[in-house]
Amino acid sequence: MLDVTGLNLEFHDHLIPETVVRDFELHMEPGEIVGLVGESGSGKSMTALAIAGLLSRHDMQKRGKILFEGEDILTCARSRLRALQGDDIAMIFQEPMTSLNPVLPVGWQVEEALRIHRPEMDREERKRRALQMLSDVELEDAERVYRAYPHQLSGGMRQRVMIAAAMICEPRLLIADEPTTALDVTIQYQIVRLLLRINREKKTAILFISHDLSLVRRLCRRVVVMQGGGIVESGDAETVFFHPKEPYTKKLIAAIPRCEKGEEGGEQDAHGGGRTLLEVSNVRIGFAQERRSLFEKRKIRPVLRGVSLTLREGEVLGLVGESGCGKSTLARVILGLERQDAGSVSHFSEHPQMVFQDPYGSLNPARKVGWILEEPLRIRGVRAPRERREKALSMLQKVGLGPEIADRYPRQLSGGQRQRVCIGAALMLEPKLLIADEAVSALDVTVQDQILELLLSLKEEMGLSVLFISHDMRVVYRMSDRVLVMRDGQIVEQGSVEQVYFAPCHPYTKRLLEAADLGGKRAG
Amino acid sequence: MKYFLKKTAGLLATLLAVSFLVFAAFAVIPGDPATAMLGTEATPARVEALREELGLNAPLLVRYLRWIGDFLRGDFGNSYRYNMSVMSMIGDKLPVTLTLTAISFVLIVVISIPLGVACARYAGGMLDHAIVVANQIIMAVPAFFSGILITLVFGLILHLFVPGGYVSWQQDRLAFLGYMIFPSIAIALPKSAMAVKLLRTSILSEMKLDYVRTAYSRGNGTRAVLYRHVLRNALIPVITFLGMALADMVAGSIIVEQVFNIPGLGRILLTSISNRDYPVVQAIIVCIAFLVIAVNFLVDLLYKAVDPRITLD
Repeated sequence: MLDVTGLNLEFHDHLIPETVVRDFELHMEPGEIVGLVGESGSGKSMTALAIAGLLSRHDMQKRGKILFEGEDILTCARSRLRALQGDDIAMIFQEPMTSLNPVLPVGWQVEEALRIHRPEMDREERKRRALQMLSDVELEDAERVYRAYPHQLSGGMRQRVMIAAAMICEPRLLIADEPTTALDVTIQYQIVRLLLRINREKKTAILFISHDLSLVRRLCRRVVVMQGGGIVESGDAETVFFHPKEPYTKKLIAAIPRCEKGEEGGEQDAHGGGRTLLEVSNVRIGFAQERRSLFEKRKIRPVLRGVSLTLREGEVLGLVGESGCGKSTLARVILGLERQDAGSVSHFSEHPQMVFQDPYGSLNPARKVGWILEEPLRIRGVRAPRERREKALSMLQKVGLGPEIADRYPRQLSGGQRQRVCIGAALMLEPKLLIADEAVSALDVTVQDQILELLLSLKEEMGLSVLFISHDMRVVYRMSDRVLVMRDGQIVEQGSVEQVYFAPCHPYTKRLLEAADLGGKRAG
Repeated sequence: MKYFLKKTAGLLATLLAVSFLVFAAFAVIPGDPATAMLGTEATPARVEALREELGLNAPLLVRYLRWIGDFLRGDFGNSYRYNMSVMSMIGDKLPVTLTLTAISFVLIVVISIPLGVACARYAGGMLDHAIVVANQIIMAVPAFFSGILITLVFGLILHLFVPGGYVSWQQDRLAFLGYMIFPSIAIALPKSAMAVKLLRTSILSEMKLDYVRTAYSRGNGTRAVLYRHVLRNALIPVITFLGMALADMVAGSIIVEQVFNIPGLGRILLTSISNRDYPVVQAIIVCIAFLVIAVNFLVDLLYKAVDPRITLD
């Protein structure tokens, strides 16, 4: 059905042409699911866009053939391509938040492909199909979703809407570009199940693009591994995952954080005796909800419902839970950015600092890295520019960046480099306590690995204690000494990493662990 | 509902504040209506008598309360200068200014939206470059100067209208509109240039967003993507600008009315200020303030209509 041969993509926007995809080959049968794996920058998204016929930049040179049922996507007429798009080839994207038009109702967007490709269909029939499709993607109350706007839905619901909109004309090929990356673990799991069901019931072939190897392993029969624009390894999923030939594939597989028992059990006691740095007891907070009418009593939605924790010197305390459970609110309360309604927070250290999730958004784009690093010193009244500069440069070295980075702007850095800068900025005042809120969630697996490594080594070097907040069970496992599991504003389980991961008591913890599929099982 | 109550309360509070500020300003600036009415040769006794008659000797606050009481009963008072009611003085001038503003506004919308879309669609091409350059020039020319240029080109050289030859609505409707179109162009040009620039930038940045890629992936062509998906999103900042521009035009048509010799609110406002004709100035300012606030209110509603993410509160 799909035959890609000798695909080469080159950018010509610089003096020297940059090859983003090199000699790419792919063959797909109808109804097949193929995984395309690689880190960001490996060219996998470019390849996907090319196959979907969505690369129309003038400064790009495309060579090779992309035959979809005998027709070449690269050379066929614009009008023919448009007839295929949305009808025979559909695509869903990584960001369900931004991939839907914010000002148009969901129903309109789900129906759009029908309006374009089935102009003879009348309004009632279109609506009937859209509602059917919305309930097919397991959205409850399809009628309400149909009338809603994207901002009124959650991330998982929006991705379901995207899938419904893509599937409405029953395409033969669905290209899914990182469709679950921006979602919570349990929702990722549901979306993958949904894609599997669609594949089974509608016989839609799926090209599943992801950097998440454990998801790809769960979903795909065949896998193609890409690096730096070229194919590194491809073949049967079992073979690639359990008998990888290429060092790069081995590295990718090794980077999946895994739970293996008894890794650092001995260290546990050493941390047990440390001085208490932070004590949070019975903190409650609620936010007022909007009133529907003038006379309605203002409702308070509780976000934290009696949370207690202690963090000892030199310890990494993991806090896991899905988005919306109150983890970030707790971090804000600890930092004093939000005032609790009841309970107390006692600090036994100066200047706790925070590292945020989004290394793209949390650095001022108009300032150079050096300026950003010096800022905390400037606020604290370190006047001498030379002293500030020296400290900034030595911090860059500590976080593993060269001195030349000081004169770059954040946009000139990669995601991993930016997160290093964020960490550096947080450590400028040599805090004792660092709060990392989803600090690696936006990064690629191998970059994630490096940043975790960095945090662990800085922790040793600077005697840091870390409150490590994440929705990713595997990452928390790798980082933490002790773990708290949070749900709906309450701590449902806590204990050492070993206790929580290998002998979970609470059913919610078990569910999280199951959804995270912590590697070991199929690998044996 | 609550939103409307809140807005109306805000409107009233603002009008009250504006009217008091104008009142207070006249107490501070030199000059006195009695002297202005009687001329400099009048005896102090006559001036004093007139002041007493007009109630000008009462304290500021008392005078203000007296005025606001009359105002609320619908009595705008009488002009000190001309022996007629303020209502009848403003009555036939307000529609002239409003027409001027309305025509200018329609011109801005009609000129800027198609041009902005065209610029963005063919960004980097000849048309785009030409419009961008023309924009820079037009933006730099203030309305009164372009008014003079228009008078020169269309009036004195091309003889499309008679400069200063204002025809009222009652005399000849077509001629009235024909005359008004030129001052409207003078007002609309610099604002249209800004709106084109804003819309162009807005569309170009919207075109880079993810939902545009989604729209293409469903088989939309560039035209459909532009008109069905992007335009509505791109208009949001433009609406903000148009709202501000409209408020600015209601208040700012004064100078252009001078240039084109149009008997609108602007002219009578200027003469009334120099004559210290409080009641007239007061009424005009309150009128303008009311219009500006009303326009802002409409813009809020329009926002809500265009962008469902906005909640009114």
